Amino acid sequence: MRRQILVTLSAALLLAAAAGQPGLRAEGGFLANGALPAVPVPPDNPQTDAKVRLGAQLYFDTRLSADGTISCATCHSPDTGWANHHPTDTGIRGQVGGRNSGTILDSAYMKYQFWDGRAGSLEEQALGPIHNPIEMGETLENVVRKLDAIPGYRAQFREVFGTGVNTEGIAKAIAAFERTVVSGPSPYDRYLAGERDAMSAAAVRGMKVFNGKAHCTSCHGGPAFSDQSFHNLGVGLKKANPDLGRENHTKHAEDRGRFKTPGLRNVALTYPYLHDGSAKTLMDVIEVYDRGGEANPDLDPLLLPLRLTAREKADLVAFMEALTGTLPAIGKPALPEDAKPGDAAPQGGAR
Amino acid sequence: MKRAILFVPLLALIFLAAAWPGESRAVPVFARKYGFNCTMCHSAFPRLNDFGSRYRENGYRLPGRENEERTVLQGPAPFAARTGAGYDSDKFKNAPEPVGDVSQFRLQGLDLLSGGLLGSKIGYFMVYPPRISESRGVVGQDGTLEMASAVFARLAGSSWLNVRAGRFEPAYAAFSVKRHLTVSPYEIYDYTFPDGIPFSETQSGVEVFGLGGKGLHYAAGVLEGAESNLSDDSPADYYARVSMVFGPGEGQTAGHRVSLIGYQGKARHLPVEAPATLRESYTRYGLDASLNFGRVNLALQYLAAKDDKGFWTGATSDPTYSGGFAEVLFQPRTDLVAFARYDRVSPPDEAPEESLSRYTAGARYYFEDQVALHAEYSSRKVSLREAGVPDATEKFFTVRLDFAF
Repeated sequence: MRRQILVTLSAALLLAAAAGQPGLRAEGGFLANGALPAVPVPPDNPQTDAKVRLGAQLYFDTRLSADGTISCATCHSPDTGWANHHPTDTGIRGQVGGRNSGTILDSAYMKYQFWDGRAGSLEEQALGPIHNPIEMGETLENVVRKLDAIPGYRAQFREVFGTGVNTEGIAKAIAAFERTVVSGPSPYDRYLAGERDAMSAAAVRGMKVFNGKAHCTSCHGGPAFSDQSFHNLGVGLKKANPDLGRENHTKHAEDRGRFKTPGLRNVALTYPYLHDGSAKTLMDVIEVYDRGGEANPDLDPLLLPLRLTAREKADLVAFMEALTGTLPAIGKPALPEDAKPGDAAPQGGAR
Repeated sequence: MKRAILFVPLLALIFLAAAWPGESRAVPVFARKYGFNCTMCHSAFPRLNDFGSRYRENGYRLPGRENEERTVLQGPAPFAARTGAGYDSDKFKNAPEPVGDVSQFRLQGLDLLSGGLLGSKIGYFMVYPPRISESRGVVGQDGTLEMASAVFARLAGSSWLNVRAGRFEPAYAAFSVKRHLTVSPYEIYDYTFPDGIPFSETQSGVEVFGLGGKGLHYAAGVLEGAESNLSDDSPADYYARVSMVFGPGEGQTAGHRVSLIGYQGKARHLPVEAPATLRESYTRYGLDASLNFGRVNLALQYLAAKDDKGFWTGATSDPTYSGGFAEVLFQPRTDLVAFARYDRVSPPDEAPEESLSRYTAGARYYFEDQVALHAEYSSRKVSLREAGVPDATEKFFTVRLDFAF
């Protein structure tokens, strides 16, 4: 009898040791969703206060668009999670684009910009919408000319870059500003840091589902909750003229229907979802994944039916809501006024 | 006294179940590598889900993310363990050979596991049950290397060509004995001629396998084969399997998978000292299906066999036999799965038993992804040909904790 008891109690002790203290998958493993590191800053565009101030003004300035109605903030507004709540956006002259506006929040952590990843940096991205005919519809030459005519901008470019207004400076200043649009700790981060009541019980359960049965982490892994890659979910591919996503940029057939994995921090603020804004709520997105995406020949091999229960879906939503961090206190800055009669003439524009 | 023996360990189990932490931490080797929970790959540990099945077939690499993978040298120590502890009751009646009844709490052996990537395209998986002496309260094990295989994935850059080499679970066993939920064995997998090759066992050899478009999977291999072969007998066992998957998924937890298998082997029959030229052949062929309807999985296996008459004492023609099983899994929640299975084997005329059947039912409740409370009842009946000899029966019951860390 003594031996039997010893054996069973040994097994019990072994179990207890295996259980250990409560912890998280997120704390280990190379795809784990840890805390955000410091914002990466490219060596050729260091952050300065003056540059960020200039970038903020450019970001909010509708004069960058052809008809003076659209700024970056029109589609990426701080009031709507630095994105907006339309499925797709309306640019100048009421033109409607084909893709949902991604959030600027924490975009500094993304390796690729735009849904098809055609920009490899914020600097590259910053100029894209300006000369996109549907969005701001302005030529870069015109933008430089217009800004160079504004004394306040002219002076700031001189101060920040030691040059006149030019496209490189516009891109660098906007990118520098966007690198300050970073969210602070979320309940999830506080939970990771040991504050065990920072997340609701539903969110904690959702975290396990996210990192297990729902397979979310296989793509939404890492501190930004993105694998910084591209996947084919099949969404919208059955339309008459489907958006082919990354293939449009790379011209590689294997990229057909692939779109960037967006980061999920602050995702609760940035509805609607998916590249075409076709999912109105987080639950709608979960339903897409639960049925294993939309069947198509190039469907990502990571997508499979999940068979989530109603409670697991609700828990996933609770978890994603717990990824909402504190938001940066940034409002629309005062913009430089247009030149008045008698102001000094521009010195020559782009260099 | 007997009541006390039962009471103390049961109390320990109940205490553990009640005190189990709300979150899981310790995870086996692959989950630890990525930082995933076990349910990423397992519908109910140890059974794989579709994702886990793809991961395994992809050489232990995440499909589509092969370029980002890390080798065993770049991650945490690639070791894990699996064991269990609980109460077993095994009662025999009219057994042809004396078998002792069991009624005791036992530690259910131990598997040491290791797996990961040796290089960007070379995965490996190893299972070693260390030698444990049988004693009261402890299930003994031999200490042989159960599995040690390397997988060379996507040779020539295509999912059509992958190679598994070493000692592994060959693809002819459609339902993994190592990853199934029941303790009771699949009878048809274990039924064979004396010293033959049970389908439930791992084998040494090489397997080529691939995944095509439109749900087509194939596997073919050459193996060492039956234990009655001597060390200088060249491998002469071959098999092939072709599967089609219908619908989204891999047929594990979504979609439907239907397969055909064929196996041709050669082995010495007793006495094994006979010249190698006297090795006789045997064949197995069968059909299996894994069908998924919402939260219900229906697993069907049918196997037929034809052996050379030399394998069976007294046979005047080549004996044939067949059997299979039908198993239903119902998983209403992620932490709860119920199972029921019926096994049947119709032995050859030369065998002393006329029929063999088994009913199994049970459930597993998961305190955590990798910690299951397992309860199972199984009733086995063997009808003998000899007139007047009563059926031999076995009634098996177990409740145990099954866990890996």
